[in-house]
Amino acid sequence: MNFEYSEKEEKFRSEVREWLKETLPEYLSEKVKKYQRLTKEDYELFMNNLSQKGWLAWHWPEEYGGTGWNAIEKHIFEEEIVKASAPRIVPFGVNMLGPVLIEFGSEEQKNYYLPRILNNEDWWAQGYSEPGAGSDLASLKTTAVDKGDYYLVNGQKTWTTLGHHADKIFCLVKTDLNVKPQLGISFLLIDMDSPGVEVKPIITLDGEHEVNEVWFTNVKVPKKNLVGKENEGWTYAKYLLTFERTGIAGVPNSKSALNHLKMVSRKSMKNGKPLIEDPMFSSEVAELEIDLLAMEIFNLRTVSAAAEGKAPGMESSLLKIKGTLVRQKTTELLRKALGPQALPYLPEQFDEGWNEMPIGPEYAGPIAKQYFNMRKISIYGGSNEIQKNIVAKASFGL
Amino acid sequence: MDFSLSEERKMLQETVARFFENNYKDINKRSKYLEMNDGFSRDFWKESANLGIISGLVSPNFGGLGGSGEDISIIFELIGKSLCIEPFLSSGLLSSTVLSSIENPKTELINQIVDGELLISFAHMEMNNRYEDHFVETKAFLENDNWKLNGSKSFVINGDSADKVIISARIDGEINDKNGIGLFLVDNNQIKNRSYNTIDGYRAAELNFENIEAELLCKNDLALECIIKTNSAGALALSAEAIGIMQVCFELTLDYLKTRKQFGKSIGAFQSIQHRMVDMMLEIEQVRSAVMLASSTFETNSSTRDKNVSAAKNLVGRVGKLIAEESIQLHGGIAMTWEYSVAHYAKRLIMIDHLMGDADYHRDRFKLLSLN
Repeated sequence: MNFEYSEKEEKFRSEVREWLKETLPEYLSEKVKKYQRLTKEDYELFMNNLSQKGWLAWHWPEEYGGTGWNAIEKHIFEEEIVKASAPRIVPFGVNMLGPVLIEFGSEEQKNYYLPRILNNEDWWAQGYSEPGAGSDLASLKTTAVDKGDYYLVNGQKTWTTLGHHADKIFCLVKTDLNVKPQLGISFLLIDMDSPGVEVKPIITLDGEHEVNEVWFTNVKVPKKNLVGKENEGWTYAKYLLTFERTGIAGVPNSKSALNHLKMVSRKSMKNGKPLIEDPMFSSEVAELEIDLLAMEIFNLRTVSAAAEGKAPGMESSLLKIKGTLVRQKTTELLRKALGPQALPYLPEQFDEGWNEMPIGPEYAGPIAKQYFNMRKISIYGGSNEIQKNIVAKASFGL
Repeated sequence: MDFSLSEERKMLQETVARFFENNYKDINKRSKYLEMNDGFSRDFWKESANLGIISGLVSPNFGGLGGSGEDISIIFELIGKSLCIEPFLSSGLLSSTVLSSIENPKTELINQIVDGELLISFAHMEMNNRYEDHFVETKAFLENDNWKLNGSKSFVINGDSADKVIISARIDGEINDKNGIGLFLVDNNQIKNRSYNTIDGYRAAELNFENIEAELLCKNDLALECIIKTNSAGALALSAEAIGIMQVCFELTLDYLKTRKQFGKSIGAFQSIQHRMVDMMLEIEQVRSAVMLASSTFETNSSTRDKNVSAAKNLVGRVGKLIAEESIQLHGGIAMTWEYSVAHYAKRLIMIDHLMGDADYHRDRFKLLSLN
């Protein structure tokens, strides 16, 4: 056993690090560090840089213009992006739709869409969840009726992340209402500027606009936009959901949040002494750090098995559960560390160029907001309860 | 990065696993061993020596065949699976660690331990020193150039059957001074001992002694280092043992969920129970990961070693409680019986948190090594 990275892997790491240092503008990493709102252009700038470097399609095989990286290289890449405080790579086109098209798309679809994703020309959104279909995704209600050379789509999608920036959306729709829910679903690609598509913002509990409702009223979608076969969309949807996600545990994010927590609890005072010297509080931090340390090795074990070609099964679900709990715990302790400094809420503080005096230390501003925002991670991507169902079904034989 | 075991280690694992399985198949055999004179089977111990299992805990520098963090973990995980009660920890690991870490290593004694001919127990704990490495009340003094010891040692595992005992004693200073401690080797026949069984099925003894003759092994900084290293070795071994136990608890519980029927279906069909099993499975993987890290860094510098061992032992304490309590709860009444094995696994798992530092102790040590 040996948990060190090889020389080749370390070389790769410094290559990624150097590249980020050269190409990521300082104003952008500062915005990310301060949890300021990112504009569409902020995301695009980073993704265009990646595209030019040939690193945008970091999950794809080389023959389709991807990097061909193995799981360990992907893991390193993800770590460095977080360490550099780069914006996240908007995953819907490149990480989600791309692999589905590569596996199930027609030649025409591959030839048209994949290069556009590679060149960052389209902003894709994900049209899965509906008001009545969350964890029970197959109960979705949006319909697509066959009208000869097009489908007529009616219904509503929700929680559409960054959908207000999107040019296109991939959707799960019902094409057969008379069969078991899973058997009547199809996978459609829809232009957001089609007549009848309407995007309405959802403001989340932290006051932010990140997610949306997308309404479809008599939207005409050409038949050529169907991916794979009609009524087999559930297979593709599942493929997308279980598609190798080395980053599912969010180890790099939690590590950086833990460092932030240590910094904040050195600065926060209790009875005239730094909070980190309070035995109760520091005990919570220490046990969180131990959980994270163990999870990092658990994640690496899974990553290294994936690099050897073993498909991660229930490990992905277990890591999703633990990863979200650890991440949420860091935001909880950050919130506790602030004491009453967590109270002020100045939404304008998160706009670019805001230069007024903060109330309390500048780092305090986003912490409570971030705590509330992070409640989502144990709900989305298959809630933690769904992950437990998956593990129980797959490995207990009950 | 490489998470697999080398061929030699796989072989070690297979040999030990097969041997333990053949000798510890059912819990009644363990109870019989415990009822023997020494609280364990001398025959089993001797055979373990012949198969080279004890030597797997000792470095080749001192005549062993293993001794690395990984070797220790492999052997102790299997000890946990079988709930084996022979003196692997007391003689095989702790005493050989002390004897090999001193200025003039006692290679000959180590060889006798490895051959199964000599038992030496490590006696550091006292009635009131909890898990501290430098809190020592027992006194050592020189009389006509000979070392003599006065005091008592508690909870000495296999302290009744040991031929010799390694005793920590204060040469100088206050009761909790870091400096002034010595480690001494003593013939056990000089000592009055009161032996008893522990609640998790081990044999231990209280040692009381007055002006007994002792041989100084090391003192001051070196003695403290030696105690810390030995405690870390023990904490690593117990953590690995805990993995084996947790795995068995999990499997026994899962089996039971499939066979036990209530309300017309197997109780494993209930979602509330399935979710608790997933929590157990997840936490066992966390512990396994922490122990892998601790064993692979066991030979590095002492602060990395102790930090990672403390992370593992803290997690073992927390998760051990979860697994022990949930295994009993999910079984229901049957787990409350002496006859059914899960109870014995659960008891050992809980009591592991009372040896070589509990979850709180190791959390605090981790804190010192990591936050500052």
